[in-house]
Amino acid sequence: MATAAQRRIKSVSYAKYGYIFTAPFFIVYCIFMLWPLIQTFQLAFYDNGVFEPLKNAEFVGFDNFKAILFGDSNEFSQAAVIHEEFLSTMKNTIIIWVGNFIPQIILSLVLAVWFTDLRVKIPGKQFFKVVMYMPNIITAASVAGLFLSLFGDSQYSVINQLYLSGGEGREQLMLATGVWSSRIIVMFIQVWMWFGNTMIMLMSGIMSINTSIYEACEIDGANSRQTFWRITLPLLKSMMVYTLLTSMIGGLQMFDIPYMFHTGAVINDNIKTVAVFIYELFHKNYMKPSSGYSAAASVILFFITGILGALVFYVQRDKDAIEIKRKRKAAMKEAKRKQAMGGGLGL
Amino acid sequence: MNKLKKSLALIATLAIASTAFVACGDDSSSTGDSSSKTDSSSKADDSSSKAEGSEIKFGDDGDVLSVLCWTADDIGKMIEFWDTNNAEQAGKVKYVNVGSKGQEAREGYVNYFNGDEDVDLFVVEADWILEYINNDTFSAPMSDLGFADSAFDDQYAYTKAVATDSNGVIKASSWQATPGAYVYNVDLAKEHLGVNTPEEMQEKVKDWDTFTATAKELAPKGIAMADTLGGMWQVWQYNRSQAWLDADNKLQVDEFCTEYANLAKEYYDNGYVTKEAQWTDGWATIGTQGKTMGYFFCTWCLGANAQLEKSKGDYTWNITAGPSSYAWGGSWLAVSPECDNGQLAHDFVEMFTVNPETMKEYALFKGEFVNNPTVMKEIVDEGSNKNDLLGGQDQFAVLYEAASKIDMDGKITAYDAQIKDAFNNSVDKLVKGEFADVDTMINEFKKECAKIEGISVE
Repeated sequence: MATAAQRRIKSVSYAKYGYIFTAPFFIVYCIFMLWPLIQTFQLAFYDNGVFEPLKNAEFVGFDNFKAILFGDSNEFSQAAVIHEEFLSTMKNTIIIWVGNFIPQIILSLVLAVWFTDLRVKIPGKQFFKVVMYMPNIITAASVAGLFLSLFGDSQYSVINQLYLSGGEGREQLMLATGVWSSRIIVMFIQVWMWFGNTMIMLMSGIMSINTSIYEACEIDGANSRQTFWRITLPLLKSMMVYTLLTSMIGGLQMFDIPYMFHTGAVINDNIKTVAVFIYELFHKNYMKPSSGYSAAASVILFFITGILGALVFYVQRDKDAIEIKRKRKAAMKEAKRKQAMGGGLGL
Repeated sequence: MNKLKKSLALIATLAIASTAFVACGDDSSSTGDSSSKTDSSSKADDSSSKAEGSEIKFGDDGDVLSVLCWTADDIGKMIEFWDTNNAEQAGKVKYVNVGSKGQEAREGYVNYFNGDEDVDLFVVEADWILEYINNDTFSAPMSDLGFADSAFDDQYAYTKAVATDSNGVIKASSWQATPGAYVYNVDLAKEHLGVNTPEEMQEKVKDWDTFTATAKELAPKGIAMADTLGGMWQVWQYNRSQAWLDADNKLQVDEFCTEYANLAKEYYDNGYVTKEAQWTDGWATIGTQGKTMGYFFCTWCLGANAQLEKSKGDYTWNITAGPSSYAWGGSWLAVSPECDNGQLAHDFVEMFTVNPETMKEYALFKGEFVNNPTVMKEIVDEGSNKNDLLGGQDQFAVLYEAASKIDMDGKITAYDAQIKDAFNNSVDKLVKGEFADVDTMINEFKKECAKIEGISVE
C-alpha cells in the first residue's frame, strides 16, 4: 500500500520542467528570429523609401519581386538597376561559392583521410589539427584587415612591396579591386577560414566508420586508393551531403568577407554578394531605405536556398535503400494479399 | 518544499526570459512619432516667453551635456578648452562616440536617437547635414537655444546658409570654416623645381594647366604632384558650378563630370597623382617617403595629430593656395529636441560659434580656423599664429583668402554623400581600367544613382 507521499511523488510530472527550461530559447527565438522573418515577408510587399515602412508605406503587391526578377525597359529606372545588380550579385555569389567549395572539400577530404588513416603516422597530429582550425576562430573583420594589408592596392601592401622591389619600372598591382584577383582572394580566404572546420566534420564522419571494415580491407590486400574509393567515400556520403548543404546555405548568405574586403567607402562590385546587396539596399540610405526591394530579395534568396537544399537531398538520396524499402513494401503487400486470399496458405 | 522548488524554477526561468526583453525598453519617447513631439514642444512654447530666439526652450534637468560625434579630435579639444575657461562648469560636458567616421555616425545617430540615452548636441557633416536638419524629429531650431538669427551674422555666410533648413530656419551652427590649400614638401620642391619660397611655389601651381605642366616635369622622377585622387576630388567638386540635383531631385550630369574623369585618368596613368587611396595607411606613407610633392589639405588636416603631422616624415612642409580655392567638409553643431541641458548647450554653442573673444582664444588654442572672418582677419594681421608643422608658417594667412571665396549656397543636397560616393567609385573603376571609356563610366554612375531612393535619373 503506497503512502500519501509516495502517491504524490508519482503524480509529479517532470516533463513540465523541460518546457519551462526550454521556454527562454523559444521566447528569444520567436522574438529575434521568427518575428523578424515574418516581418521580412511582410516588408517585401510594401513600398520603398519610407522611414518606417511597416507603419507608413503603401502596400504594392508583387511589384518589388517583379522589379528584382524582371527589371524594367528603361535603363535608368530604379527597377532596371536593381534587377541588374541582383543578377550580378547572384553571379558573384555563385562564382565565389563554387570557387571556394571545390578546393575546400578536396583539401579537407585529403587531410581528413590522412589524419584518420591507421597506417599513416603523422607526428604532431593534434598540433596540426588545432593550427588548421585556427583561422576559423579569428573574426572576419581581422581576416579582412589582414588580407587587405597583404593584397591591398596600396604600393605599401606586402605583395606590392615584394613585387615592386623585384625590378625597376614596375607598376603596383591592383589585386584588391581587380575583377578576378579580388574574387580569387575572397575564395582563398573562405577556403582558408573554413577548411579546418570541414576537415573536423569529415574526420568525425570517417572515424564513425567501423575500423574492422578497414582491417578487413587490409587483410584482403586492398591498397589505400581502393580503400578510399570503395570504403571511405561511400560510407562518408551522409556527412558529405551535410557539408555540401551547410556550405551551400552559408555560401548563398556569404556576407562578412565580401562586405569588408575593400578600402574607402564603396564596396567592391566584383565581390558583392546577394547578402551584401540586400544589406546595402536598406542601410545605405537609411532615412529612405529601399526596404521593399531588400526584403523581396531576401525572400527570393530564401526560396532559392530552400529549393537548392531540397534538390541536394533529392539527388543524394540513398537510391538502394529506397529501392529495398519499395521492394519490401511490395513484398509485404503481396504477402498480405495472399494471406487474405488463401487464408494463410501459400499454395 | 516542492512548492519552493517550483517557484524557484519559475523565478529563474522568468529571470532568464526577461533579459530577452531588456533591449526592447520603452520606445514611446523616441521613434518618429512627430505629432506627440510637436504637442509637447508647443506646450513648452506657452510657458516660455513669446520673444522669438531670446529664450532657451529646453529645461536644465540633465546632469551632463552630451555631445555626439564620430571623433574626439574636435570635441575633445573643445571640452578641454571649456574646462579650462569655464571652471565652475568643468566636467559638465561629455563626449559620446557614435561610429568611427562621418558615414557611420550618419547612420548611427538614428539608432542612438531611437534609444533612450541622453542626447543634447550632435555634430553633423556637410555631406549629410540636410538629412538631419530637415527632419524635426532629430533637430530643433537654434532659436530654441536662445539664439536669434542675427547671432550668427558674424559667421561665414556659407556656414549659415548650409545650416538653414528648407523652411528657412537655422538648425545648426558651425565652429569652423574649412578652406583648403596645397601643402607642399619644401625639400623636394627645392631639389627638383628650384623653388625657395611659397610664392615661387604658387607660380608653379597657380592653375590646373600649370599644375599639370609641373606634374609632367616631376613624373619621370617618381614624384607625384597630387597626393590622391580623393584629394584632387575635394578641390574639383567644390568648384562644380551647380548642385548634383535640381529642384525635382533629378540628377544633373554635366561637362564637369567628363572633364574631371578625363583629368583623373590622365593624372593616374601618367603618375601625376599617386595610386594610393585617402584614409589608408598609404596616404600618409607617400608623404613620409617623399613620393608626393604635396597634399590637398584643409584646415582640419593641419592641427596636432591630424593628417599633416602623420604625413610629414623628416621633410619640411609649407602651405600655398594651390590651383583653385576650395573647402573640404566642415562640421556643425545641431541641437536635439530631446535636449535637457538648455543653458549648458547654449553656453557651449555660444563659446565656440558665436562669441568672438572665446572663438579667438580657441583658434589659437587648437589651431582651428574658427567661423568668424573678423576674428580670423585679426589673427592674420597680428601674425601671432605660427604652425610648427609648417615650419612656423601661418596657415591662416593662406587659408583666409580661400575662405573668403567659399560659396556653397544652393550647391549641397541631402543626397550628396551617396552621389559623390557613386561618382568616385565610377572614376576609380575608370582609372583602374575596368571601364573602357568615360561614356561607359558616366552610364554606370547614372545607374548607381538610379538605385538611390528618392532621386531620378534620365
